[in-house]
Amino acid sequence: MTQPPRRYLRLPFGNDRLSLVATIVLVLLVLAGLLAPLLPIGDPEAIGAGPRLSPPTGDFPLGTDNLGRPMLARIFEGILLTFVVSTIAVLIASVVGAILGMIAAYTHRALDETVSRIADMLFSFPPVLLGLLVTAILSPGIHSAVAAIVLITLPAMVRVVRAATLDIARRDFVIVAEVAGASFGRRLFLHLLPNTAGVVAVQTAYSISLGMLIESALSFLGLGVQPPSASLGSLLREGALYLDIAPWLAFGPGALLAAAILSVNLFGDGLRAIVDPLEARPLR
Amino acid sequence: MSTVARYALVRIASACLTLFGVAVLIFGAIHALPGSFEDVLVPQAPQELRDQIAARYGLDRPLVEQFGMWLGRAIQGDLGVSLITQQPVAAEFARRLPVTVEIAGLATAIALLVGVPLGVLSGLTGHRRLVPATSRLVGGFAMSVPDFVVGAVLLYVFSRYSLWFTIGEWTPLADDPIANLRGALLPAFALSLLGIGLVLATARHATISVLGQDFIMAAVARGKRPGTVVRQHVLRNAGIPVITIVAIYSGYLLGGTIIVEMLFSVPGIGRYLIFGVLNRDYTVVQAGVMLAATFFILLNTLADALYAALDPRLAGSQGR
Repeated sequence: MTQPPRRYLRLPFGNDRLSLVATIVLVLLVLAGLLAPLLPIGDPEAIGAGPRLSPPTGDFPLGTDNLGRPMLARIFEGILLTFVVSTIAVLIASVVGAILGMIAAYTHRALDETVSRIADMLFSFPPVLLGLLVTAILSPGIHSAVAAIVLITLPAMVRVVRAATLDIARRDFVIVAEVAGASFGRRLFLHLLPNTAGVVAVQTAYSISLGMLIESALSFLGLGVQPPSASLGSLLREGALYLDIAPWLAFGPGALLAAAILSVNLFGDGLRAIVDPLEARPLR
Repeated sequence: MSTVARYALVRIASACLTLFGVAVLIFGAIHALPGSFEDVLVPQAPQELRDQIAARYGLDRPLVEQFGMWLGRAIQGDLGVSLITQQPVAAEFARRLPVTVEIAGLATAIALLVGVPLGVLSGLTGHRRLVPATSRLVGGFAMSVPDFVVGAVLLYVFSRYSLWFTIGEWTPLADDPIANLRGALLPAFALSLLGIGLVLATARHATISVLGQDFIMAAVARGKRPGTVVRQHVLRNAGIPVITIVAIYSGYLLGGTIIVEMLFSVPGIGRYLIFGVLNRDYTVVQAGVMLAATFFILLNTLADALYAALDPRLAGSQGR
């Protein structure tokens, strides 16, 4: 095999152009959401800023909704909310899941059994159904969307970290550290944690895409974000009502949501290829 | 056969244990809020009336006793009455079940019929450069586009140009199979997209890893025709991961139907459940989630049994 030509500018993800493009799209979407208030696209909550249910025009590139609010601004607001809700929830799940997974794999067997059983049980719930249950208990709103996403993404994180820790804990350097008298906390945070970080990062990326899916599904059902706030899911819910007369209301949020989730997934693929090159590319 | 039988027994016992845990979890979660049942039934009632209602529904007993009563009745098929309509919940679910099962079944069939051939094909031609990228994009697309987005597009297109399909009317299968299919295929297709993506990716991955095995080289060296190799070796060995993913996918379908049923106004379990949640009808939610979890756990156990049948080594190792 010949050496690939040396590159002077090293792009992240190497040859994996698809992941690179996905990352760029992702950054652009987040930037659009963050900078939306500064862009000349109107106020997403200004009722009557334009005619009602206007088709896309020069002033309103994606038309207006049933209250005359500019859709482009609403979509940018929605994408940010979808991202933020999902990311916050997944970060909580990642921290808790990583700690639980490491402790389960590296302490008592009984604790491991308990944690694994509970994770299995949570895992046995279909995601949207778990979301429904959480919403039924906590009442609809962002808080229950966050809680639902945490509960849905937690078991997978626990499993992945537990498996990685079981593998690493057997290695010589951990055993040496133990023999040398390194404290439990030191072994956990200095030896095990850095070596599971890659797996955690990949799982976090995939979880964020799942979280975005859950958030928008719940909001689409009217159980997540409540008006006047809007996420892509609740925009789609409103859009679906006017599908006959104003299809652009649904297609903007729908297309953006699909693009965002696809980008996060492809980004996760690229991350996995870096963290675990053998697993990700079985044929090369 | 005894190892396989023992394996099955262990699996069933573990499934029962999980189910019990799920029951505790659901019951505990719903009863964690004090007085919520009375709040739903009679929000502004005086204390006496609330006490009466609590006594009538057994809400004044200790939680463990309530759980025992609920579980005992649930095992006998009595899931309680709806807090809103006072109808027996079990009958309501039974009436709507065939609709949901039909949609989910159709979706699984579409996912397998499209996903397996495409996945195997893409795995077999995996050495060409364009193929992995394309299948990755198609698979990624299928897995990333939420079903309600696909559903909204379908709804828009087919409510504008009917093209044989009907939207918003549901004819029971027994009444008129053709009219039923006209209404069922679109929601099923919206639901199947994720399945297509999952099955495609899994079949592709499985095909690629099977092709790397020595026995494939041996079969080719013996002069077997490519078609025979694929049929006898590749497909059989790629079956296990596909079964796993279909089991996982079926669990997803339980949740996915909720969304699609709402979007396409299909009178199935999902719609009943979502109205239960929106009305805070706890009996309905509790029963619905419990039924779904039971179904999902049964399915997983069945999938495990199927692996053991396909690959008896798994039963011996007790591996998970």
